Parts: sequence; C-alpha cells; structure tokens
Amino acid sequence: MTMSEKQAPAAATPPSRGSLIGLLLQNKVTLAGCIVLLIVAVVAIIGPLVAPYGVNATNVVNALQPPSAEHWFGTDDLGRDVFSRVLVATRVSLLVAVASVAFALVIGVVVGIVSGYTRGWLDTVLMRGVDVMFAFPVLLLAMAIVAILGPGLLTTMLAIGIVYTPIFARVTRGSTLSVAVEPFVQASRTMGTGSFFILRRHILPNITGPLIVQTSLSLAFAILSEAALSFLGLGVQPPQPSWGRMLFDAQGFLGMAWWMSIFPGAAIFITVLAFNLVGDGLRDVLDPRQRTILEARRRR
Amino acid sequence: MKSRMLLAGIAMTGVAALAACSTGEGVDLDGADGRVLTAAIAGEPDQLDPHKTTSYFSFQVLENIYDTLVEPDENLEMQPALAEDWELSDDQLTWTFELREGVTFHDGSEFTADDVVYSYNRIIDEELSNAWRLSAITDITATDDTTVEITVAQPTPNLLSSLGGFKGLAIVSEDNAESGDISTAPVGTGPFSLENYTSGDSIELVANEDYWGGAPEIAGVTFRFISEGSTALAALKSGDVDWTDSIPAQQVQGLEGDDTIVLGQNPSNDYWYLAMNQAKEPWNDVRVRQAVAYAIDRDAIAQVTSYGTAEVNQLAIPKASSWYSEYDTYSTDVDQAKSLMADAGVPSAEMELLVSSDYPESVAAAQVIADNLAEIGITVSISSPDFASWLDAQNAGRFDMLMMSWLGNIDPDDFYYAQHHSAGGSNAQQYSNPEVDALLDEARTETDTDARKALYDEAAALIADDASYIYLYNPSVIQAWSPELEDYEARGDRAIRFKSVSFSD
Repeated sequence: MTMSEKQAPAAATPPSRGSLIGLLLQNKVTLAGCIVLLIVAVVAIIGPLVAPYGVNATNVVNALQPPSAEHWFGTDDLGRDVFSRVLVATRVSLLVAVASVAFALVIGVVVGIVSGYTRGWLDTVLMRGVDVMFAFPVLLLAMAIVAILGPGLLTTMLAIGIVYTPIFARVTRGSTLSVAVEPFVQASRTMGTGSFFILRRHILPNITGPLIVQTSLSLAFAILSEAALSFLGLGVQPPQPSWGRMLFDAQGFLGMAWWMSIFPGAAIFITVLAFNLVGDGLRDVLDPRQRTILEARRRR
Repeated sequence: MKSRMLLAGIAMTGVAALAACSTGEGVDLDGADGRVLTAAIAGEPDQLDPHKTTSYFSFQVLENIYDTLVEPDENLEMQPALAEDWELSDDQLTWTFELREGVTFHDGSEFTADDVVYSYNRIIDEELSNAWRLSAITDITATDDTTVEITVAQPTPNLLSSLGGFKGLAIVSEDNAESGDISTAPVGTGPFSLENYTSGDSIELVANEDYWGGAPEIAGVTFRFISEGSTALAALKSGDVDWTDSIPAQQVQGLEGDDTIVLGQNPSNDYWYLAMNQAKEPWNDVRVRQAVAYAIDRDAIAQVTSYGTAEVNQLAIPKASSWYSEYDTYSTDVDQAKSLMADAGVPSAEMELLVSSDYPESVAAAQVIADNLAEIGITVSISSPDFASWLDAQNAGRFDMLMMSWLGNIDPDDFYYAQHHSAGGSNAQQYSNPEVDALLDEARTETDTDARKALYDEAAALIADDASYIYLYNPSVIQAWSPELEDYEARGDRAIRFKSVSFSD
C-alpha cells in the first residue's frame, strides 16, 4: 500500500499549473527563450502595423542601400525596406509553423492514441504507414508534396504538417502504451467505462508532457523547413515576404549586399534557438524524473 | 599552382628551343602554342542534333562544329559560308547556290550538293523545330555536285537569314543523321570536331586541320557546364576556364574595373515583353492594355533585371539593327493609365502574372510590375513555375499576363509574324488585327528593302499601339574571357565562335 501511495501522485495527478510555470521560469535560459518568443509573437501580430515602409513598395532608384537611419536593415534589390519585410515576414513564418504543427499534432495524436490503445492489427497497419513516411528525409518528402500540389502558402503549411505527423504519432503511441497499462486505467476499464471516455479522461491528460515538448521542438523545425522550402523557391511565393524567401532573393547578392541575407537569417536563427531553449526547459520540467531533481535542487 | 609553374617551365624551354633553331623553317608555331580553350557555359546541352534541339546550350557547342550555307557576320549581314555565291532569278522564285569545293566532313567524306538537299528535306519532311523557317520552299534540287537550286512559292527576301541565321539549319551528314549518332556524336564540316562527350561533365572539341576557312589556331575547345555564375567567374579569375557567359547581371558593374578578365558587352537582338491574354476580360479591351503599358516603369524593370546593361525599347528590334524604327508612345504616366481604365469602365481588376523561376530576372521584374499596377487598381498575383510548366500554361492560355523574351531573331519577319499575325504560331495572346495581318503578309514578299522596312515599321507601330506585346527592353550579350584570349568577339546574335581566336603568351 505504501508503495502505490508514493507512486500515485507522480503518475496519475499532473503537477499543478502554477508550480510548473514557476519551475520553468526559474531557469534563466528558458526565461530568455520565453521572452524572445513573446517578442516574436507580438511582432507577428503588430508587425504590419508598425513597419515603417510598405512591404512590397518598390523603389528601384533606392535599391541595395546599406543599413542607415532611414532604412535600419538597408534595402533589397528592388529598393524595398528590409526591416519592414523582416517584421512582416514574422507573421508568415510563425503562421506556417503554428498551422503546420497544429495539423501534425491533431492528426498525429489521433493516429498515435488509437494505435497505442487498441493495439492489434490496426496498430500494425498505422505504424507501418508511419514507418514508410519516416523512411523519407523530411525535406525531400515536403518537396515532393509541394511539387505535386504546386507552391504556395497553403501547400507549404500542408506539406510541413504532413511530414511532421509521424513524429507525433510515434510519441503519442509510445506514451499511450505505457499509460494504458497503469492500474487506474485498468481499474476504469474494469468498471465498464467506455474507450472514448478513458482516452479523453485518463490517457490524454497523462501524455501531454512529451507532446508539449515535441510541439515546441517541432515549431522550431517547422520554421526551418518553411525557410528551406522558400529558399528553394517552393514555399511562399513572391512578393509576399517570408524569412526563407528573403534569403532566396538575397543569394545572388551575397557579395554585394550582406544586409539582405544577414537580417532574415538572424531572425530565423533567433526564433529557432528560442523555440529550442523553451523546448529543452519544458522537457526538464515535464519529465517526472527530471522534475524531481529540479525540485530537490530548489529545496536546497 | 605547382602544375602551372611546371607548364610555364616547359613553355620557357620551348621558347628557348625555338630561339636555338632560329632558321624558323618548318617550325609549326600553331603546334607550339597548341593550347585548348576551356569555356564555361551555364548549362548542359539536351542533345547535339542541330535540327532537333532548341536549347541555346546545344547551339553554343554546335556553332563550332557545323556550318550553314551562309552565315551572319558581326553586323548580322549574311556572308558566304558553305555556299560561295548565289543568284536570284528575275521572278524572285528560284535561288541558285554555288557550293564551296573541297570541303570535307569530320569523318573524311566529301561535302556535296546532296548533303544540302538531304539536310533541308530532313527538317521539312520530319517537321523538325525549324521547319517553319523553310515554309516558303517548294523544291530543293541538286543540279550537279556543287549547285543547289531552291524554289520558293512566293518572293522570299529573308530566305538567306532563314537558311543561315543560326546552326539550327546546319548542313549535316546523311550517314551520321540516319544512324542516330548525331544526337551524341555529331559530324559536321565546321572548324572543330567532337572528340569526347562526357554527360554531366564536359564536351571536348579538337581543331579541324582541314577546315575550309583555315585550321583554327587553338588546339581545341572544352566546354564545361557551370550554372552558378559566381562559381564560373571564380573559375575564370583563377584561370581554370578561359571564357564564360554564366555571369549574373548584378555583378557586371563590379567586373568593369577588373583587369584579370576582359568583359564583352554587346547589344543583343533579344527582347523582353509583356503580353496580356486577349481571350479574357478585361484584357481584350485595348484601353486596359494601354493603361498597363502606361502604368509600368520600364526603366525600373530594366534596372532590376539587367543593372544598366539593357536598353529600354518600346518595340522589339534593337537600335543597332538596320531594321530599327523609333517609337516612344508610352512613358510612365499613372494619370493617363487611370483615365484609360476609367474610359474602359474597369475601376479594378485581378491579374495573374505568369513568369518563370528559371528566369529569376522575370520574378524580380514581376514584383516591380505588381507594385506599378497596384496604383491603377490592378491587383497582381505572381505565378512563377519552372519554364516547362510556364510553356504549358502559355499554350493552354492559363494566364492574364505573361513576361518572357525572344532571342536569336535577325529578320523583322522573325520578330513580328509568328507573334502577331492572326495565324501566327506563337500568338499565345490571341491578337488579331486585319490591318497588321495584311502588312505582315505584304512585307514577307516585298523585295525592295526600303519598302519592306516601311511596311514593318507601320506594322510594329500598330502592334505596339494595340499593346499586343508591351515591349520592355533589349538585354546585352554579356561574356567574359581571359586577357590571354585574343580576337574573340561577343556577338549580338549570341553565336559563340572560337574558330579564329588565339592565345597570347
């Protein structure tokens, strides 16, 4: 009896939200990541409102100007203000990342949880399908999807969403497998509770930890994938700016106008780094074993 | 570095040896400098059959392997090549060509009138890509070994430029063509013969010592395929290649003061244009098309695509040509454009602008055009597929406006007939003006040059007034080569000729 009393809180009751955030923000690196993400999110929302110049307003006479008081990040080959474009591109890049990861999360979780809970032939079929998708390199698969559907904002989101679905399916299935054999799930089932209720009430809340971590890391990768697709000319189409597209446009001017590539490149770098730092912080907090260590440290 | 030092050493010894036997008798100087020229072109040929390929990369190589009956000189006037002389009958319907004697193909077989007949019949009978250039021809006969008679259905003043404008009308060897080897191992009569073709890597040519125009001074030409402009330029500067045309326009200015290379820049016969789909509303309204022509900023477009290397032009034919005519109806005038839109009763419109990602300059220009047209209420969405998809979309009429270029034209008929005649094969914008049709038909058979030019001037002005095409600019031919390469010339028709170049030491 003492044994199960000790184990129960760790497995069955998720930690309270307040203590989680407190733990998370205690780590200074994670805190920095959170602040950067907050700024990026704010820029994504208000970027187009505060941009000093029209994002697609060309002014060829003023092309390829280095950074100055007038144009903080300089101007590109068509005389457009790079600062304004980096600001506005934030929304596109985040939108693609969030939409595609949301797609991957929803589909992946449904596939994974069904697979992990029902087992049997359905599990085998679904997981072999996931294996097939894993066999392709992520970017190659995304490029193939874009090649079939034609480039554009929507297909970019869809392509990135599809290629990240298998990861979520795997993570969900693994966690579901381990939670499904817990005594409280078995007890619930014995009492005649329906499968859907068990999935929603008992299993889903207990697998959120790994999913949150995976989401955070996938957001970082999705931003990179969008940049890569746009850099290959397959993602967001001109004149709409995205960070990757700006890099693509800058490659012919590497030796002449460093500011065209440095600033969108830095925006990608900083955002991806922030997502990764926050993801690491989340993993530390949400992993029960790691959390015990953190809490012990805190007490000391 | 090491190997180059070694070569220099050998060359020095060579000079010393020559100096020693100063009688000079029988010393083969050509053999002494026998250096192979390495040229970097921007892409690999799809095949080497001159009658079948349409790729410029193929013609860069084939220019040096094949000959045509006549060929354009640096002013694009037709000069004798395989034909030494020709006569036109009084009724203008029979052309008699006297062929050069003693010419042999690279495989040693003799060049005769039968080869000419075979070559042209191959293009016509198999309906190959240049068959339309020979459409006026009704009969080709070899009257003896060195005489060919060509009969045409109506007077055809541009026959010479149709026959010799470029190597797509090359005289090929029948054995070579019938065996199918021609697509990888072509046999011609030109200054160089094909030695080796390594797919994905290089094409090696060696000098044809028996060339009728005199053996080339260089030992051969190696073509390498380098699509990345910066890489090609770096290779040129380091001496790995001697010549390249793989040069991004934005780097040209930076190269002008560079004395490690020679920059060749020459106005070309190419032109870039916009065309609106006249099968669709509201682009079928001439006032809307004129509004677009007034709204765009040609100077800005030429600047972002060519960085000051192109010449803005409101008609197709460039200033350097004797067929050039002055025309400057359109200047950027937003008020005029707006009032034209209002007259047409089109306050706003959506436009899909079709450009190709294979031509990055067109994508850059499209963004300027989108910005220009926003001012007169036209919302532009840019579509930039690869060129193959671009062609499909054009041919299926899936566009509101497109931007593209034509290249390699010489005669005004090349510039206007196929594009703007109601029955023209390249009239994708579906332009039809009976007056223009009549002028183009008449000009085709008019034999007096001045009268012919007047007809084309009139037709071209009508075409531009109707904005069938909105002409933008003529780009320059931009090539760069090593200062050691002598007697090379960047030509307006983009023909790459290495037959008379040499290396200084």
